[in-house]
Amino acid sequence: MNPLIRPLIAVATLALLAGCATTEQATTEEQQTPQDTAAQPGITAQPGQEAYSYGYGQAPAGGYETYDASGGAVAGAGRRPGQAIAGGGSAVPADRIVYFSFDSAEILPESQTIIEGNARKLTKSSRTVTQLEGHTDERGSREYNIALGERRAHAVRQAMIAMGVAPQQIRVVSYGEERAAAGGADEQSYALNRRVEIVY
Amino acid sequence: MNLFTRLLCLLTLLLSSSLAHAQLTIDITKGIEGSGIPIAIAPFSGGAPENIASIIAADLQRTGKFAPQSAGSRADYSVAGQAGSGGSRGYIVQFQLSGAQGGQLLNLSFDAPANQLRAVAHRISDLIYEKLTGDKGLAGTRIAYVAGGGGTWYLMVADADGQNPQMILRSGQPIMSPAWAPDGSRLAYVSFEGRRPQIVVQDVVNGSRRTVSAAPGINGAPSWSPDGQRLAFTLSKDGNPEIYVLNIGSATPSRLTSGGAIDTEPVWLPDGGIVFTSDRGGSPQLYRMGSGGGGAQRLTFEGDYNARPAVSPDGRYLAMVHRRGGRFHIAVLDLQNRQFRVLTSGGLDESPSFAPNGKMIIYSNGQRLAAVSVDGSVKQDFALRGNGRDPVWAPFAR
Repeated sequence: MNPLIRPLIAVATLALLAGCATTEQATTEEQQTPQDTAAQPGITAQPGQEAYSYGYGQAPAGGYETYDASGGAVAGAGRRPGQAIAGGGSAVPADRIVYFSFDSAEILPESQTIIEGNARKLTKSSRTVTQLEGHTDERGSREYNIALGERRAHAVRQAMIAMGVAPQQIRVVSYGEERAAAGGADEQSYALNRRVEIVY
Repeated sequence: MNLFTRLLCLLTLLLSSSLAHAQLTIDITKGIEGSGIPIAIAPFSGGAPENIASIIAADLQRTGKFAPQSAGSRADYSVAGQAGSGGSRGYIVQFQLSGAQGGQLLNLSFDAPANQLRAVAHRISDLIYEKLTGDKGLAGTRIAYVAGGGGTWYLMVADADGQNPQMILRSGQPIMSPAWAPDGSRLAYVSFEGRRPQIVVQDVVNGSRRTVSAAPGINGAPSWSPDGQRLAFTLSKDGNPEIYVLNIGSATPSRLTSGGAIDTEPVWLPDGGIVFTSDRGGSPQLYRMGSGGGGAQRLTFEGDYNARPAVSPDGRYLAMVHRRGGRFHIAVLDLQNRQFRVLTSGGLDESPSFAPNGKMIIYSNGQRLAAVSVDGSVKQDFALRGNGRDPVWAPFAR
């Protein structure tokens, strides 16, 4: 098929049959079959990249198996309180995790030692850079939680700067509720998820 | 219908993929108060490989406005049809909609390949719905949502009945906040690939994508202007989450908000105004400002948490996430009479999005997708095999 025609056809596909009700038995010379379209490779990102994009209906069918598997694993039905999400659990050691109270970005007294330990490491090695990753529990709006997660990461950043770490050694990113450490919908899991991870 | 339109229609019938991956189905969990309009739907004769009559019945049932009956039942309206081999594409589908007195209201015929019979059934449902209610139907529309998590994330597009899910992005990092362009051809969303958030616009038709914002800090909550020429979103590059607007094609967004509070989740009103979430008053609430920023007016006063606004297509209603008694609900505010209504029983409800006819709101309960009518009378659950969140209802195709 002419590559210039393909987007046009896909636009027609997206037209969702609007305006296609007809009493006419329309015919055409177009002999294109759906199989031909399915066989055309989806448009993907460069190899080695993390994300692969596709046009509607162009993704390889095999992708759905992964979708089912991982979707099923996270689905709520059989999830026990505190059960970790496979692959989403934190690999960060405990001395690099700062926990927070509900709806709060305030550094708790018990977190001081952890922040100090990491700040010391950074001041000793001025070429080391850390990424502070802010997280929230799953309650509430996802994008608002991105903002709350960043507020937590900034609180740790400010504390580190006050301890003498150079600002350019600290990067901040907020994942909000998108990367839970614990998958349960209970207070214990929520407490584990309200955190900033200090990543080197 | 001119030749070009006919050609487009045929190609549409030909090429809309309809793989039989039935990963979502919808159950009506609560019907409309009283029962809907009785409509008798006879099985379609002719031996087509899809049960057209049952798809139409399910579509009409799902609207909450109709009570489909078996053939021969006493009903206000009746549907009869045939779907058999023939025509240039493989199948001819014909149907008639009649009133109780036998008067014929619709009598149409479609020429379709086997893999388009479901789409034809949805089209018939929408024609019936529009004929009898005066509103445009949703059976032929689509939804986008995010699935997966815990290692692999997927951006999916499915039919409004949850069937025919198609992956349009797979990523090893989170995907968030998809937003349809007004013409339904593109999705803006947040992708964390490279372990940092960026706002990406992806052409849903050919899969091509472009990063429109990758500033330091948050790049979040994209929302298209009604004319599709601008994107509003949240950046924290100046140290605090603020709302920006970018003309598509321009490189530099302009900032609309300022101050030490969180300002995020902008959405456009039909008149060009912007509604957003801010905690400037101490708790997250919804505010409205002009498209150029400036003074913002607070809109919500019920409780201490109202966030993630969605605007109905006519601009009359705002749906939002509302916290009450520690539970998160979908609530709706009527901007005309200021009536505030909680629509869902609550829990972890989030991410409301209006259907393009303004009648339904799709949302996530944290794990799965559900929908509720704006008046609260009709509720649907999407029974996913996997999970689903961040749903957005696509606009009507133009």
